[in-house]
Amino acid sequence: MKPKIAFFDFASCEGCQLAVLNCEDILLDILELVDLVEFREAISEKALRYDVAFVEGSIHRDEDIARLRDIRARSTYLVALGACACNGNVQARSNFVAPAVNYAEVYGEAARNRVQVDPEHWPLWAHTRVRPLDAVVKVDAQLRGCPMVPSEFLHLVKSLLKGTQPDFPAVAVCTECKKNENECVFDRGQTCMGQITWAGCNSVCVNNGYVCDGCRGILPDANLAAHLQLLREHKVAEADIRSRYRLFCGAEPIGRGV
Amino acid sequence: MSDFLASLTQVQQWISSLAARYTVFFPTPHGEANYRFTAIGADDDVRFAPYRPTITPPVKLLVPAREELFRFQHKEDGDLLLSPSVDSSFRVIAGVRPCDLKGIFLMDLFFERGVADPYYLARRENTAIIGYACTTPCTDRVFCAAVDSLDHRQGADLFLTPLASGEILVEANTERGIGLLDSTDLPPCEDGPARKIGAIAARPETYGRSFDADVQSLSGIVEQYWDSPLWDKHTERCFSCGTCNLVCPTCYCFDVRDNLALDTVSGSRTRTWDGCMLPGFAQVAGGHNFRPQPAGRQRHRVKRKFEYLPTKYGHGPVCVGCGRCGRQCTVDIDIYDIVHDLIEGGKS
Repeated sequence: MKPKIAFFDFASCEGCQLAVLNCEDILLDILELVDLVEFREAISEKALRYDVAFVEGSIHRDEDIARLRDIRARSTYLVALGACACNGNVQARSNFVAPAVNYAEVYGEAARNRVQVDPEHWPLWAHTRVRPLDAVVKVDAQLRGCPMVPSEFLHLVKSLLKGTQPDFPAVAVCTECKKNENECVFDRGQTCMGQITWAGCNSVCVNNGYVCDGCRGILPDANLAAHLQLLREHKVAEADIRSRYRLFCGAEPIGRGV
Repeated sequence: MSDFLASLTQVQQWISSLAARYTVFFPTPHGEANYRFTAIGADDDVRFAPYRPTITPPVKLLVPAREELFRFQHKEDGDLLLSPSVDSSFRVIAGVRPCDLKGIFLMDLFFERGVADPYYLARRENTAIIGYACTTPCTDRVFCAAVDSLDHRQGADLFLTPLASGEILVEANTERGIGLLDSTDLPPCEDGPARKIGAIAARPETYGRSFDADVQSLSGIVEQYWDSPLWDKHTERCFSCGTCNLVCPTCYCFDVRDNLALDTVSGSRTRTWDGCMLPGFAQVAGGHNFRPQPAGRQRHRVKRKFEYLPTKYGHGPVCVGCGRCGRQCTVDIDIYDIVHDLIEGGKS
């Protein structure tokens, strides 16, 4: 029987699901091998159990937690799809500001004052903490990045079809960047998150003249003290360092720790 | 074999003209402060100076960062079809400095001895190398003289030495080298050996950084260290990114992976550069890691370059002193400093 595959999303731009749809040259071949039972971006079908659930987005509200746990309970294998699901992404920056302040910033003071006295609207703004999926449920695999990388998605799909262990080496972006023989960002007088960031993106940002902003999350054994010292030595202001660490990883220890 | 004299312009034009006939790689400026060995066109400028070591060494053209080894297909009747992907296209690498030439010379040993590597050897046999002598240290990081690579010449089909007169001495060391000169009409040089000695004598007396120890004594010095705080000292800021391995002219370790097609019965086997400073390098099946800490990995790396491989192959340090690893490490961990500290520590 074909494995049942489903896609779900929480707080996200759904760009990672679009990235899946963008695997056009192989997508139809994949669909011959799996049974796609839930995918809001593409179909309206539903199912009770899933062999593999791809979950995009970060977790904000209590009802998100309940829904994610339900998906987990109905899934054999759960994949965190993209930076929001893996490390919280940019929305985790809101963790550092009181919810009422964020709400007023987006919807204005009048709207904020109204929801504060209207219990019907309370859940809309009372979320208190942005979390990656693994802060709530067990996650079996992570497809990192903003957006996720199609070649990693395909590697995971093939591994699951074959029944082999998918392999996402815990090496730094620098490792791939050197294989691509890029000029080091530091040689261009800029600073970079590449030394402490999970590789797998083939250093795409540096290949294209930008720097690594760390969208793929921090490596498990990253030398954070050395990186902090390095940024300071390169005269990056403390506020900018904080902003840098919180850009994609505000929900991770590195974002909370500075 | 035979020596010729040429002007710098003649040599530069000749290399450009080779690019019209062959794939020619040459150190080309890249970005704001770097060089890469890049395939040049016949109209491209060929300049030997200014120069600093390329981001990755020219041996990348013999062992690419990623290469397909073979394709496979499991047939339904149980047969396994294999088709190797050996690259035997002809190429010229020009402007190879002595340090990188020594690197290729050592790589030749590593890939020939034991189980010979057909992929490396196919490329190597079809690669012509045009070396170029250094006259002044190319950066303040180099220590090529201290590890005996500054005067390395072996492995080059042609070797170019800039002379004080402004001319270039062209040494042809192989038939293939002479063949590459067939489009030129360079006058022979009768006193080549004397001119080479003159060019060496004209170099600065202290060339780059030096060790306070004889090159022959280095492996014995490094051998004395196992448990030492020096390994911790030189990894305190290490990111384990493996840059030092990946930019090294003598690092040859690779990892092999299968890339399955969606049918899960066919695919390709590829290899990619690996490095002993990477956290998972010494991790084995079951999850045990023999060198879980950066300090243990650094010790292994330094001992490979200065103790294990020199002992095994007998060609001196397997570090050519190009300074790439130290310069490209964003936290300035320099193998020169490590060996320097080991030498100093042994004195007290």
